Amino acid sequence: MSQIPLEANAQQIDLTTLSLPQLTQLKQQLDQELTLFQESLQSLKLAQNKFQNSGECLEKVTPESEGKSILVPLTGSMYVPGKLADTKHVIIDIGTGYYAEQDIAGAKSYFRRKIAFVTEQMEKIQIIGLEKSKIRDTVAEVMELKMQAQTAQS
Amino acid sequence: MGDLQKKIENEVVLLKGTQKEYQKAISTRQQLDAQLNENQVVKDELNLISIERRIYKAIGPALIKMEIVEAKQNVAKRIDYISKEIKRFDDIIMNLEKKQDGHRETLHKLQQDKMKSAMKP
Repeated sequence: MSQIPLEANAQQIDLTTLSLPQLTQLKQQLDQELTLFQESLQSLKLAQNKFQNSGECLEKVTPESEGKSILVPLTGSMYVPGKLADTKHVIIDIGTGYYAEQDIAGAKSYFRRKIAFVTEQMEKIQIIGLEKSKIRDTVAEVMELKMQAQTAQS
Repeated sequence: MGDLQKKIENEVVLLKGTQKEYQKAISTRQQLDAQLNENQVVKDELNLISIERRIYKAIGPALIKMEIVEAKQNVAKRIDYISKEIKRFDDIIMNLEKKQDGHRETLHKLQQDKMKSAMKP
């Protein structure tokens, strides 16, 4: 019952034929899904920002800055002075604890790819979310009607 | 009458328990999905990187150097394992769904019985 295919067949299921408890359950499910989408959207935004930041940082890593001194954070609150020894390569996090050495151009294209990917996912979620909220509104409407009919009867 | 009430209460407890289990299974399944995605991304990324590039694996706070071939193998193994886990959890979720529906049905029936007996003087 909780596995009603919502996407393609939703229009085929006449919501008015469902009972109130069924509708309540359906609405609950939709609400849950919508919150999940909101959360996902938020984390995607965070990820997008992170990639953007990293990509912008790379702009500062040029051959001219080789040998320049920097402060290296050992922890969040402690720094040691250092010198940029290699400005041609960076090591990037590619997920699940793996890090790969990349040249600047490679790293830039990596971040660009990531941003594009994340943006694409966000757009997808927004579209699905919109559809779901429409379905949810319809379900809420039908529930309202049913409840009115019930109070009219009693 | 009291017997019926007891039965209903019992069924509610069972249903709640199954619902909890179901939620847990769902969230585990979601975690697995996320892990699978992440690993897939890493796999794609590793495939894009040329062999001579150095790969490191974070073990605790330290980065350990690793051969790219080894990294690829590890990720493939991870993906394999996670896919199997996902299948396992899909089965668990399906069973819990059935169990939930069963409990709901019995509960519904019991409640109807209760109503019926309440109607009778």
